[in-house]
Amino acid sequence: MAQMWITMGPQHPMTHGLWTLRVKVDGETVVDTEPELGYIHRGVEKICEARDFTQITPYCDRLCYVSAMTWAHSYIYSAENLLEVEVPERAEYVRLIATEIQRVTSHLMWLGAYSPDIGNLTIFTWCLRDREMFIDLMQELGGSRLHYNFPRVGGVKRDLPIGFAQRCRAKIALFLERLKEYEMLLDESTVFLVRTQGVGLASAEAMVNAGVTGPNLRAAGVNYDVRWAHPYSVYDELDWNPSVEKPSSSKGADCYDRYRVRMEEMVHSCEMVLEALDKIPGGAESHYSPGDEMIQSKAPLRAPAGSSGFHHYEDCRGESMFYLQGGGEGRGKHPYRVSIRSPMFITIPFVAKTMIGYKIADIPAIMGSFDPCIGETDR
Amino acid sequence: MADWLQLNDWLYDGLDSALNTALHGTPLADYAGFMALVLAATLACVSVLGVFMMGLGLILWIEPKLWARMMDRRGRTTDWRSLWVGEQGVTAGEWWNKVPYGLGRPIGALNRWLNKVMGNASKHPSVERVNNRSWHGAWWALPGFVQTIADGAKFLTKEHMPPTKADRLIYEISPFLIISSTVLIIGFMPFSSGIYAINPELSVLFALAIFGIAPLGVFFAGWSSNNKYTLIGGIRSAAQLTAYEIPLLITVLGVCVLSGSFNFIEIVNFQHSAGAWNFFLLPLGFGLFIITMIAEVERIPFDMPEAEAELVEGWWTEYGGMRWGLLFAAEYMRVWAACILCAVFFLGGWSAPFAGLMGNLGVVGVVWNDLIPGVVWTMLKSLFIFLIFVWARASLPRVRTDQILEFGWRYLLPLSVVQLVIAVILRLSFYDPAGLGSGSAWDGGSGFFWLVPLVVFVVSMAIFIVYSIDEDKDPPSRPYHVHTVEPAGTHVAGSVGGRQKIGNTGMR
Amino acid sequence: MGMKISSKANIAAAKSAVEAIKSRFDSVGVEVSSAQHASGHKRTYVSIACPPAHWLALAKWMRFDGGVNHCSMITGVHHPEGGPDKGWEVIAHLMRMPVVDQKPGKALVHDAAKLSGDDVPMEYEVVLTLPQTDTPVVPSVQSIWVGADWNEKETWDLVGIDFEGHEYMMRVLNPHDSPQGFHPLQKQHHLRYHGHNEMYDDAQGFMRLPVDVDKVK
Repeated sequence: MAQMWITMGPQHPMTHGLWTLRVKVDGETVVDTEPELGYIHRGVEKICEARDFTQITPYCDRLCYVSAMTWAHSYIYSAENLLEVEVPERAEYVRLIATEIQRVTSHLMWLGAYSPDIGNLTIFTWCLRDREMFIDLMQELGGSRLHYNFPRVGGVKRDLPIGFAQRCRAKIALFLERLKEYEMLLDESTVFLVRTQGVGLASAEAMVNAGVTGPNLRAAGVNYDVRWAHPYSVYDELDWNPSVEKPSSSKGADCYDRYRVRMEEMVHSCEMVLEALDKIPGGAESHYSPGDEMIQSKAPLRAPAGSSGFHHYEDCRGESMFYLQGGGEGRGKHPYRVSIRSPMFITIPFVAKTMIGYKIADIPAIMGSFDPCIGETDR
Repeated sequence: MADWLQLNDWLYDGLDSALNTALHGTPLADYAGFMALVLAATLACVSVLGVFMMGLGLILWIEPKLWARMMDRRGRTTDWRSLWVGEQGVTAGEWWNKVPYGLGRPIGALNRWLNKVMGNASKHPSVERVNNRSWHGAWWALPGFVQTIADGAKFLTKEHMPPTKADRLIYEISPFLIISSTVLIIGFMPFSSGIYAINPELSVLFALAIFGIAPLGVFFAGWSSNNKYTLIGGIRSAAQLTAYEIPLLITVLGVCVLSGSFNFIEIVNFQHSAGAWNFFLLPLGFGLFIITMIAEVERIPFDMPEAEAELVEGWWTEYGGMRWGLLFAAEYMRVWAACILCAVFFLGGWSAPFAGLMGNLGVVGVVWNDLIPGVVWTMLKSLFIFLIFVWARASLPRVRTDQILEFGWRYLLPLSVVQLVIAVILRLSFYDPAGLGSGSAWDGGSGFFWLVPLVVFVVSMAIFIVYSIDEDKDPPSRPYHVHTVEPAGTHVAGSVGGRQKIGNTGMR
Repeated sequence: MGMKISSKANIAAAKSAVEAIKSRFDSVGVEVSSAQHASGHKRTYVSIACPPAHWLALAKWMRFDGGVNHCSMITGVHHPEGGPDKGWEVIAHLMRMPVVDQKPGKALVHDAAKLSGDDVPMEYEVVLTLPQTDTPVVPSVQSIWVGADWNEKETWDLVGIDFEGHEYMMRVLNPHDSPQGFHPLQKQHHLRYHGHNEMYDDAQGFMRLPVDVDKVK
């Protein structure tokens, strides 16, 4: 059969977002690929040039809507580098709790979207059901279910609500039991293993050179994590380890390794949250009013021209970064330039090339295992 | 089996005598017999179709229900929807409180009464506040059953949109091919000794030959739609169905060899009078039949041809309206036909289980053996097989096309040949035709009436169990390059959290 | 406790990286120094101001001799009012990560306390400043880091800075048929409501079209 170009997208159940993957196939084998992004490019970087530093936070929630907390925090840390702000320790603990719960939620969403790609719809229901528990927790913190607008320059919007610690511990205990069920259904299923093993091989050095980081890199056998390499927040005060998987082939990590990394990351994140609840200064049961100096410190509103700040951050999908230059409108009230580094924007073209040589049926398996999110890709 | 529901006898004899008496003396008297025959045959077909469609409606309803229950075993999704403790008695969804002048209060009272009598109360007071939104239904009203009919009716309202450059002739013919061949199977399937449309001597061959027409129709549909996706879907389907027809036919050949006939009714009679269902004599065949049938009807785990994640709908993407509705129905008709065939070949069809045992139990035995019509047993056994189909669908991911083909050609085909050999050996060496009906057909000369099936079944189960415990297998000996038997990294499946402390998880 | 690269190791690694680059590139006008982030753990990173002509050489050295194996982001800024020397900036953020290919079944589990020398992760910020011009051009490092590829495409697409030697330059975020020369992040393109005229002067402003609706942007 002759080779032909198939267009997967922009409307397609596989793509997890609005983008096109053009695939050249020879029978069932993929011979070439070409991704086309930019369908939901909203011009966030340009918009932010006309917004205050506090007004930018909701835009950052909407970059990757599945993982809003981590993106808002990624921006806030960069803004704090730009504005030279000290953050109180309790606020850092609250941020850590929020971020790690968000990491669990994002990975659950990933698993819930990945399993139907492989063909198993049961995990979809289960993951979304358990994700609801954590969304409720973040709703208590941020006010709504998907976009929280939670961190502020210098701290957080509000403290842990009364009873939050109790609910959080109960839900995490329940979730860790449920996670065993997911693993029993997937890890012990030969069909899942044959679909994900040996497929989508990517080696560590190739990934690093191509700009791919995060769980995708840790699946290839190196435990690099921005949280210990360029530490921020209070991660160094908690007892945690990044989850790493040994690659299963000399050519690198396969989809199964990436799946295992994220399952272990969920466990590690839950344990981090529990430990943070134990160690938070002031106690997890006390509640400080919004604006209290325990949870938010005074921050300057303006950044002078010529100043800049950036911060590398461990997002659920890799290493994200905001680069801010001060000195915009309003004598520096608005930033002069906001530049957003999205891990997925760099990963998707890399993955598109990884798919060459496999079958059409492997396309969703490979693409899904890298956890694409188009919101952050297109900004 | 004394089955009192001999519908065919009633139809043929009854109509014959009725029409002869009715037309006696009229100019049509010579044709009375012929007319009775035609009328009876038509009604027999209608009755078979009716029974089949009733079963189809049942499985179209049971599947989503069972699927949802399997996915959410611990309760409805709303049970864990929110552990948020609301303040000041906040509830959700009680719109009647907002109707002015208190006119909504009777509705609230009705809602509370319905929920009290047949509602879904939960133990958690916080969940109670959220759950109280509507009446969820009573089990005896078969909630959700009419949904199927409504969906089917909806398809009639949709537009027929053939693609511009589609091969119109083939595009229009393909649904006919697929649907008509599927419905034709019903003609050869008996539901009991008295309910069938036609009973030729080689009915098994006819039924399976018709089963094999559909792949052609599927391929036509995929090709003619002028769509790369449907083309890929059609090709995958053609390859897969062809690959799995062969182990299927060899398995069925084994059953027929064992039962001594290519006729459905005689196979069931054989199982009944020999005293052992074919399931116990050919457990490998049972497993092969189920697997190949799941592949034949393109269900998960073998639904690559219509895999949503890649091909959206696969080979039937370009069909809309009732054409799609009938193709969808045809898929489920094939599933139901596969279940019935499985029940007939392996589970004894319409013979009651434990007939001899139950016969000794007085009234219960009378009801069990004589009062329950055979068609009920067939339906129950087919539904049981269907549960296995749904269970597989809920638990397993999709297998990739080339892995499906590899599995079919390299593993199922040799196994089915092995199974045929076993069937031949059983029939020739261990079967005593003189003992048919008197309980000594399968005693292998020993006197214990169930010796051969027992030994075969126990040995097969032992092999199956030993093969299932494969943790210690070395990587190269597992198929499909599954080379990570022990999980990479620091984890052991199923033991999340067991190796590290979790911290303070108690409620304060 | 959770491991982290200690501040001492961080400062020492930054110093040695600065020294290495200085010794090689000081003579050509590349200014290297250790800079510090302003908040949080106040980590030290390497800040480089490089003349665009030497960017390719610096990049090659950093990649192959300096162990900088990760290109995080390449971005551009337009300064129409930055003075004659500062018309455009290209900022490259790079990182050195201790990552090597692993054999199957083996994992490299770093202990942060034991990392030293070139294994210590380090952040680099390279700023290329271009004078006022209508056609900003810098050399492309696409052949050095694969990660620079789509970053450069995005920078050209949004900011308008050309990358010399970049293969298959194309629009990645804007539509493929955007007008030639349209690069939205340049400062002459204003956002709607930029001067707040429409928003405040027309209470029903959302019903009207913007004043520049027929202008080619």
